[in-house]
Amino acid sequence: MSAQAAAFAAGAHAGSRGLWMLAWLRFCRDRVGLVSLIVVAAYFAVVAASGMGWIADEWSKEVGVSYAPPGAMGPDASSAAPAGAAPQARAEVAQDDSGIADPIAGEIAEIRKGLAGISPSETRAATLPFGGDKWGRDVLQKAVKGTQTSVLVGLAAALLAAFLGTLFGAQAGYHGGWVDDFFNWFYSVFTSIPYLLLILAIAAVLNQKGTGTVILILGLTGWTGIFRLVRAEYMKHKVREYVRAADVIGASDARRMFAHILPNVSHVVLVQLSLHVVLFIKSEVVLSFLGFGVGVDTVSWGSMLNEAQNELILGKWWQLAAATAAMAVLVTAFSLLTDALRDALDPRIK
Amino acid sequence: MLAYVVRRLWQFVPTMIGVVLLVFFLFSWVGGDPAYLLAGKVSNPEQIENIRRQLGVDQPYTAQLWIFVKQIASGDFGASWSTNEKVSEILATRLGPSLTVLVPLLVISTILAMAAAMLVAYVRASITDRAIMIGCTVGQSISILVYIIVSQYVLAYQFGWFPVQGWGNDFSENLLRYSVLPVIVGVIVSLAPDVRLYRSFFLEEMHQDYVRTARAKGLSETRVMWVHVLRNAAIPIVTNVMIQLPGLLVGAFLIERFFSIPGIGREVILAVERSDFPVLKAVTVYVAIATMIVNLVADLLYKAIDPRVELE
Amino acid sequence: MLRVLVLLALVLPLASGGADPNKVLRVTFQTAETGFDPAKVSDVYSGQVIDAIFEPLLTYDYLARPARLVPNVAESMPVVGDHGRSYTVKLKQGIHFAADPVFKGGKRELTAEDYVYSIKRFLDPRNRSPYAFLFEGKIVGLDEIAVRAKTTGRFDYDAKVAGLEAPDRYTLRIRLRAGDFNFAHLLAFPLVGAVAREAIETYGDDTNSRPVGTGPYLLKKYARSSKIVLEANPGYRGKVWDFSAGDDPRDAQIVARMKGRALPAIGSVEISIMDETQSRWLAFQRAETDIEYQLWEVAPTFMTNDGKLRPEFARRGIWLDRSVDPEITYTYFNMQEYIGDQPNPLAGFSKEKIALRRAIAMAYNVDDQIRIIRKGQATRAQFPIPPGVAGHDPRYRSSIPYDPQLANALLDKFGYRRGPDGYRTRPGGAPLVIRYSSMPTERDRQFDELVKRSLDTIGLRLEIHKERFPELNRLGHQCRLMMRTGAWIADYPDGDNFMQLLYGPNTGQTNSACYRSPEFDRLYEESRSMPDGAERGRLYRQMARLAEVHTVWILGDSRYRNVLLQPRVAGYKKHPVLFSEWLYIDLDTAARK
Repeated sequence: MSAQAAAFAAGAHAGSRGLWMLAWLRFCRDRVGLVSLIVVAAYFAVVAASGMGWIADEWSKEVGVSYAPPGAMGPDASSAAPAGAAPQARAEVAQDDSGIADPIAGEIAEIRKGLAGISPSETRAATLPFGGDKWGRDVLQKAVKGTQTSVLVGLAAALLAAFLGTLFGAQAGYHGGWVDDFFNWFYSVFTSIPYLLLILAIAAVLNQKGTGTVILILGLTGWTGIFRLVRAEYMKHKVREYVRAADVIGASDARRMFAHILPNVSHVVLVQLSLHVVLFIKSEVVLSFLGFGVGVDTVSWGSMLNEAQNELILGKWWQLAAATAAMAVLVTAFSLLTDALRDALDPRIK
Repeated sequence: MLAYVVRRLWQFVPTMIGVVLLVFFLFSWVGGDPAYLLAGKVSNPEQIENIRRQLGVDQPYTAQLWIFVKQIASGDFGASWSTNEKVSEILATRLGPSLTVLVPLLVISTILAMAAAMLVAYVRASITDRAIMIGCTVGQSISILVYIIVSQYVLAYQFGWFPVQGWGNDFSENLLRYSVLPVIVGVIVSLAPDVRLYRSFFLEEMHQDYVRTARAKGLSETRVMWVHVLRNAAIPIVTNVMIQLPGLLVGAFLIERFFSIPGIGREVILAVERSDFPVLKAVTVYVAIATMIVNLVADLLYKAIDPRVELE
Repeated sequence: MLRVLVLLALVLPLASGGADPNKVLRVTFQTAETGFDPAKVSDVYSGQVIDAIFEPLLTYDYLARPARLVPNVAESMPVVGDHGRSYTVKLKQGIHFAADPVFKGGKRELTAEDYVYSIKRFLDPRNRSPYAFLFEGKIVGLDEIAVRAKTTGRFDYDAKVAGLEAPDRYTLRIRLRAGDFNFAHLLAFPLVGAVAREAIETYGDDTNSRPVGTGPYLLKKYARSSKIVLEANPGYRGKVWDFSAGDDPRDAQIVARMKGRALPAIGSVEISIMDETQSRWLAFQRAETDIEYQLWEVAPTFMTNDGKLRPEFARRGIWLDRSVDPEITYTYFNMQEYIGDQPNPLAGFSKEKIALRRAIAMAYNVDDQIRIIRKGQATRAQFPIPPGVAGHDPRYRSSIPYDPQLANALLDKFGYRRGPDGYRTRPGGAPLVIRYSSMPTERDRQFDELVKRSLDTIGLRLEIHKERFPELNRLGHQCRLMMRTGAWIADYPDGDNFMQLLYGPNTGQTNSACYRSPEFDRLYEESRSMPDGAERGRLYRQMARLAEVHTVWILGDSRYRNVLLQPRVAGYKKHPVLFSEWLYIDLDTAARK
């Protein structure tokens, strides 16, 4: 870790304005970075559209037959399950009541009379563009909705982790002394406990399910790396002249920490932020495997992959493929973008 | 040097106290009541009370905490609540299988990743470099769960190159037969991030003054790479591998479950399902201790090899 | 003539039967065992091993369906007297425990005292036996010792128990507090096998890994939660395969293959613990295992929709043994007026509350549960007692159909109006949220999805409550869950084991719906005093109808047990009550590839 820290930490010489300008110019020369940026932007557009309800709003609707194959494969001949069969005539009540009367028998009989002759029917597609899941939901729509959830989880958790890591790191690095000792102690406690058990413990404390919990679990366990780097940056910066100058003009500690130093170390945080987005998107899959995934009213890549775990042997590969592909493209683009970002922000290492 | 080690060891104490308190309160306070699991499918309040008394969970928290502290001091965590097996016995028997997979995995992936990283660092910014790095990024973007499921299905089942799963009784059979596929999967998963990380280590070293000096002295480029850069980059790499090990003991649970390897990670998942706190507490404490020791050794290693490193 | 001779030879006492050490049966457990002390465990996997190592007094006929009790260690069936209050069993003589260091090289004969001791152990608080309930409150004088043990901290095994004694070396006499015609089933329960007191006392806390019994197998190698190896017990008294074919056409084939075979035939059983379904299925297909049934999630790969083995597997000689497990799954509603201090919207016997529960039951698609979650490998439960269990009524039909339209109309009728968001409120307009509890596993997530879509169709708002298993059990026992899906598998093949799930006084124990209906309780108490028969059947029908009318449960399904067998496995037929069939089967060495 400390070697990594040394590698990442060696930035921040120039004033912040010029640094960002130069970085952007350098970034524009990086073609891979630009392409990645476009891909990531496209994903964010999908997330936004899905969040607004413009697309994949009906993902939970059961439009196809169970495990409807992708359109290109044609309908599944072997599963002769009655596809869109309407329910049969309304079932009759049992004849022999064994002498036990039903308190609401009267009302039910009345309703039955009213409903006589009406029987709902539904039609389900035999194939879907990218196949269907076990309930017959469109895998493509699920993947889109899953993208929304997973990207949001990754972003929110990374923001939380970056916030905590920066806050703690700034305090520890800037103040030093017992404050530093305290945060370091906190850091070593957190990093000494096996990650898996930490996750389980925090999940037990939160004692709830759902997207918010997943974000909290990831964010609360993932801040340590960022803390380490930010702390090192602050230790380096607090003795610099510009900070001393701020001291002379009477800037408060908080002002010096966040108005003066932070802009100069923010590129480190930014790179870490995007690294953590990727990390958390992948961690969400493992959380789902452990049963701490998102709730039943939503879908994520993790929940899809876990559902798909046994589907591969059943020969229903499409959900696994859809979730893996959606995830692989974004994670690849995001990682390449992060690389480009780092190269642009920290040109010394190439 | 000795003063530093003593100081660091002394620092273990507050960290351990933190870990112990955190573990204790998390598992005792929010971990659920194991009595309802052990009572079986029919139970009455007296039975629950009886089980709680036997396990000692009906005592005040302070008393339980004191027992926990004594357990840590004596290294005897008692017996598993669900099987009555001695916790020390559980850890001792599960450590072997875990290491049988993890050690080859770490060795192979480190060697491969170092070779690849050195190559790409040497030809940095070339097409090869970019292609390998992008390849690594793509490889890294697929979930470990997918790697396991697909490789078990394709390599072991469809091609029949490996046993699908299993674990035997003797070491060589385990290592050469059952560990092979889990190790391959582990290597595939860890190779990509390792190459990326080690490449940065190599680049870091290649920008150091001593490299320039060596070049200026007229040493051949290969010699510079193989002798100077490699030797120096190896330090962060080796320490990085060491630091990973304690976490991996628990973290390899996905591989252990799918390939039925009776290791620590699988045991932890089982203990969590059974609310078997003695096992969880022991694993947490031992891993914490291992983590701290490994970190100390890593820092000492740095210092020993590179005197410029300031020990904090 | 030759045949008669052979048969005669086999009937003679045999040392270790015909166990062939080269015949190794390889099976799997999907969950790790907990241990092999009969009084300390409850999971079915440990039970399978215990079944092979220890012997209860009685056992079941391997082929007879429904399951029929037969003597095992007992010389004959117990003599039942005093309206089911007294049971007397004579033991066979000359049965010995497997050789073990605790016997110091001597032979240790099995006596009636061993069963007295073994039964007492279930009530010893130190064993915290999950199956203590089998004997609690039943045997005259036994509970008193357990109560005393709680204060003294030591269970007095030497104290005389009036209802549990061995008048002579080979006679066991049990007196019950109340008549119970099912008690003989408990004497056949695989966990009620005889342990030797000296072994238990010597091994102390280690009894889970040092089982010493009289059964056909011994524990040879044991790597916890990884591998268990059993080997034929050389000191086993031997048994001869002698069962008659039933109605099942396959029986004749089994009888032809196995009749007269000295048991056990298989020299060793190797059990591997494999957690993941994919691993188990691929391992079976690669012929790395011989018997595999824990494959519910992937059943469609080897089964057709009508429950037959797919031809490509049949061609390879693989066999499918299909039976219905003696279990039911059910989704219960909490019938207690308050959950904690919150009023429970589902509880009560008023018409509107019954209508709400009925509507949910009508909206819940059991057929989809079977088709999608069970992958077709279950049969719909109509009656609270599953097939294969005495008291099951195959003609009984549930009066609650799947009919979301009717359910919607019913809710409309009773004033559960839809609000602007499309979700219904309580009749007074107060918000209505149904809370469904389940575990954080992938399997339970499927049930969550099913409940969610069911409630969506009738406009009820659902909240999913996730908790781990022990915690859910705790809350369930305290009547603090609103709705949950549970399963019950027979401990013994009698309907009483299922009907007690709804008996009022069992609230806090097995009656997780906390259903207290005086009418039901009266019927149940009446049924307890009767042996199985038409009269009890009539009461059971009334009880089933009553629970339906009150809509306490949504009855789910009973799962099929699809056991896949490699070609070399011979004589296998899943028994509904026995935990393992290893004793009664054989391996064809010729069919080995």
